[in-house]
Amino acid sequence: MKIWLWRAAMLLAALAVWEAAARMLSTILYVGPSRLPGALGRVLATRDLPPLAGHVWLTLGEIAAAYALAVAGGLWIGFLLGLRKTVGRIYEPLLAALYAVPGVVWYPSLMLFFGLGPASKIAFGVLLGFFPVTLSVLAGIRQVPATLVTVALSMGAKPWTLFCKVMLPAMASTMVGGLRSGLALSVVGVLVGELLGARAGLGYVINYAYGLMMVKL
Amino acid sequence: MTFGGAQLRATPPHDAEPPKDRVTAAAPAPIAIEGVGKRYVTPSGPVPAVERVSLTVHPREFVSLLGPSGCGKSTVLGMIGELVRPDSGIILIDGEPVTGPNPKKVALVFQDPGLFPWRTALDNVGFGLELLSVASARRREIALGLLGPMGLNGFEAKYPRELSGGMRQRVAIARALALDTPILLMDEPFGALDEQTRFLMGEWLVGVRRRTERTIVFVTHSLHEAIALSDRIVVMTARPGAIKDVIDVPLPYPRALDGPEAVALHAKLWAQVREESLKAVEGQA
Repeated sequence: MKIWLWRAAMLLAALAVWEAAARMLSTILYVGPSRLPGALGRVLATRDLPPLAGHVWLTLGEIAAAYALAVAGGLWIGFLLGLRKTVGRIYEPLLAALYAVPGVVWYPSLMLFFGLGPASKIAFGVLLGFFPVTLSVLAGIRQVPATLVTVALSMGAKPWTLFCKVMLPAMASTMVGGLRSGLALSVVGVLVGELLGARAGLGYVINYAYGLMMVKL
Repeated sequence: MTFGGAQLRATPPHDAEPPKDRVTAAAPAPIAIEGVGKRYVTPSGPVPAVERVSLTVHPREFVSLLGPSGCGKSTVLGMIGELVRPDSGIILIDGEPVTGPNPKKVALVFQDPGLFPWRTALDNVGFGLELLSVASARRREIALGLLGPMGLNGFEAKYPRELSGGMRQRVAIARALALDTPILLMDEPFGALDEQTRFLMGEWLVGVRRRTERTIVFVTHSLHEAIALSDRIVVMTARPGAIKDVIDVPLPYPRALDGPEAVALHAKLWAQVREESLKAVEGQA
């Protein structure tokens, strides 16, 4: 209960600072919270733009698709490299090298392959979200204590049982971390994709407003 | 048959002589180890860990493997539990060659309790039974029945991080006992505990043994522990580990370690272990 009060107080304080700062500075570039409802109303009423809800749904859909693919691919590659020792030793350096490349350099190619539509945004979201998931699976497998595996094997655990009852629970906390940062990066990927070249979506709306220098649209 | 093949492949000629204490009686020994050897492959070439170990353990016997660190005691134990596959020789459990971990006959306890941190003490004890598809109510009943006499009443719902080192090891032992196997293999189970706890656990194990009548093979580097607990002590040489001597301990339990026989035995064991430990230390230098 107390914690909730503190949170609310923090939020109010942040809004107050924002409002005060916006009022003291240029009203064109800085929009305070008190003017937001009006601005939102205007966005919803602007005829030049398709309805905002459409953009929101499009972007959310792209994020969902990108994240689902990033998780599926990340788990698959992560477990493949982590559980097949030889495969892992061959491909892990490659994975690390690819991860070191700033993701955004791939985007022009992705736009050429997948076009200006949602596919290129999803591909970029997958690309960014994939690595944290894969790497967290690899790190998770490595940190499963060897004794736990030995104990389970000595009690006759078969590979699948070992995986479900020992490996997965022992890796859970590391993997949850990777799944979270994967989600954050998938969101970044989709939005940046829309900012860099799109005809719809939240990133497009932001870029559109930027082009017109409309901070409050 | 696979072990016969392994023997042909990896056994040097001098290993080929038949083991002397082969069991041919109607009731086979719980554990019969015959001419077993193991080498580990390292980047700098194969390192022999164990060579020509032959040993027969009788029903309800408590045998300790004693020797300097790195002498392959744990490897021998791992081979009996078939976590480690021998390169040569045969291991028979109840007269049958081992082909993989057999939780119906053999249970293991390790130096690291290896409790699952996401399971309560009760669920840790039930783990092996769960793998054998024992119903949940029955698992609970067995686990409670084991934890109580181990002084863990009231700790059933605790997680391993909430237990002391000695308690954790007792839970680990309970987990092995829950399988109700005739054979219990213990790899320095009290090695990580402080001395007082270690002695208490030893006394407690003597009690468990009397109640449950199991055949126990116990790896240790503690002379006192070996003297206090064993029917027979197998002294192993420095690497590559082989059997140096087998010593009977015909003393009644509970054993007073300051009695004349125990002191004489300690001196005898120490002379042998000291010699091998020196070799082990010099070998590393």
